Amino acid sequence: MAIAKAERLMNLALCLLGTRRPLSKRELRESIEAYLEAGSDDSFNRMFERDKDDLRELGLVIATVENLDGEVGYLARRDSNRLPPITLDAEEAAALGLAAKVWQQARLAGAASGALQKLRAAGLPEDVDPYEAHGALEPRIPVHEAAFEPLMLACRDRRPVVFDYRKASAAHPETRHVEPWALECWRGHWYLAGWDRDRGAERVFRLSRITGRVRSRGTGFTVSVPDVVTVRETVAGWAGEIADRSALIRLRAGAGYPLRAKATEVRELGDGWDELEIPYGHGLDAWLVEFGPDVVVLEPAELRADVVDRLRAVAKG
Amino acid sequence: MAGKPVRPVNAIDQTRRMLSLVTYLRERPGARIADVARAFGITEDELVSDLDLLPMCGTSFRGGDLLDIDTDGERIWWHNAAALGEEAAEPLRLAADEATALLVAARAVSTLPGLREGDRQALLRATAKVETAAGEAAGASSRLSVTFESEGGVFADVDRAIAERRRLWIRYYSPARDEVTEREIDPIRLVSVGHTYVEAWCRRSEARRTFRLDRVAEIRILDEPSAPPEIELRDLSEALVQPAAEDPEVVIEVGPGGRWVAEYYPHDSADELPDGGLRITLRTPDPASLRRLALRLGRDGRIVSPPELADSARRAAGEALAAYDTAAGAVRRGDDGQE
Repeated sequence: MAIAKAERLMNLALCLLGTRRPLSKRELRESIEAYLEAGSDDSFNRMFERDKDDLRELGLVIATVENLDGEVGYLARRDSNRLPPITLDAEEAAALGLAAKVWQQARLAGAASGALQKLRAAGLPEDVDPYEAHGALEPRIPVHEAAFEPLMLACRDRRPVVFDYRKASAAHPETRHVEPWALECWRGHWYLAGWDRDRGAERVFRLSRITGRVRSRGTGFTVSVPDVVTVRETVAGWAGEIADRSALIRLRAGAGYPLRAKATEVRELGDGWDELEIPYGHGLDAWLVEFGPDVVVLEPAELRADVVDRLRAVAKG
Repeated sequence: MAGKPVRPVNAIDQTRRMLSLVTYLRERPGARIADVARAFGITEDELVSDLDLLPMCGTSFRGGDLLDIDTDGERIWWHNAAALGEEAAEPLRLAADEATALLVAARAVSTLPGLREGDRQALLRATAKVETAAGEAAGASSRLSVTFESEGGVFADVDRAIAERRRLWIRYYSPARDEVTEREIDPIRLVSVGHTYVEAWCRRSEARRTFRLDRVAEIRILDEPSAPPEIELRDLSEALVQPAAEDPEVVIEVGPGGRWVAEYYPHDSADELPDGGLRITLRTPDPASLRRLALRLGRDGRIVSPPELADSARRAAGEALAAYDTAAGAVRRGDDGQE
């Protein structure tokens, strides 16, 4: 039976951590059973390179040292791999325990537990059940978008990417070349901010509208990353939450609670209708149409015309 | 009792866990399986599979210095803890992904408006300490951020009611009917998935219901004790609204401008149409609640079935248009020959 990969990785890690002098590939191959069983030199070499990458992925700093004979040796030095001293009290430990559970994406959930386990090994206090300590709160960070993981890695490593993107109202996707800066989750959806090379401008993309695979481009960034990347303001603008004007509508008494909650002024007209002033931003026409015959737009004329236009489209079926 | 969902074995996760386990066990001879599994946030089965693997690991499989770790099923014993040099047994620094995962989550949780102040302070202190300990590895965590949405005041009242096991009175807005109804609920837990929800036993419908906090128009904590029946908690991570197989089917065709429907409504299928649109099939216990959607879509989509739903949207639009004909400030007539 093939030797489990975790066993092989664990042995390589222990060898590299346990040595004071660099170990050559030959020495490592003789010390680790899975490498002896690897067969050809080629397959051993491939396996060894992959394993080193995997160990680096989980945080191990592996130094490559050449000796006087020109032979390359490897070791994981104590001072570059040791967690600096960290002391957390029981409350702080419980708070981190809660935070470590919020990811619903396999890679980050694994990484968060891994972080907590390293802290446990370093003496993080136990015994407090995070849910007990934090009452009934169960925050979760959803990640449903397939593009998330490759983009997260690209943001981390500052690698340009290419993907097909379908704009909200476009029939067909278009290829976009992007230098990815940051990912942000707002209202349960993930957005990417970055430099759009085709447009020569900063752009925000919604991950659920990326179709197909995210491919990496080997080249580096051509534009420097700004200190502050604001995804939310752009998205709030799309969502119509940035309003620079106001609208006047009539609303049937008792109906349209969310419109009332947003209104800056409500006047009862006494004939079964109320008059409301509400902020007028992008998308208000579509929202007002949802209320059907319970809403009549009075001003401005442009909004009134948009709403009538939409209603006609529905009435025609 | 239902166990945790079985996670696929991931060699990287397991390796990182075993490295921490080795450090941890070295300090705690005779540690109990149950305690260690809890400390590491894994099942006892997962821990046992690690313990099966560890005796195959060491600095050389020949030299007899493999880790001599075994368990009697209750406690864990390590007979040659010295086999591993001091170097290999120290806690390891955090990887970039580990620091990112923990720090981004901690920052997100600390912004939850309803978090108790003491907990928030503890979390902020812990975050600062982890940032320092992570050093350079913490850098990439600024490239990821998460904001939870929740209504601060409502959240605090629900949280308190759950802690004190008291019933709540709420006025709740239901978009499906465009109405605000009063109900008494026995809150069970708060869930944040993008928006924040309270899962509760609704006394009016005598059923489990999920309420979105930003739709709570008014809230009061009652003196009566909360007494929700014992119900099994569902995994709400996938979708809060889980349509049942027997729910009526609705078919909607949208043009390119209505593709967002597939992003917002859980559906059974979404088939591409030649014009760049979609034919979406979904199920809902209450098709009438989709009249809002039909109105919103306008020329970007239409209800294919059930026909009653399509009719009701057409009728509603017609009624609404009539109001414009009679409202002050006459509306331009349509150019389709109608009066």
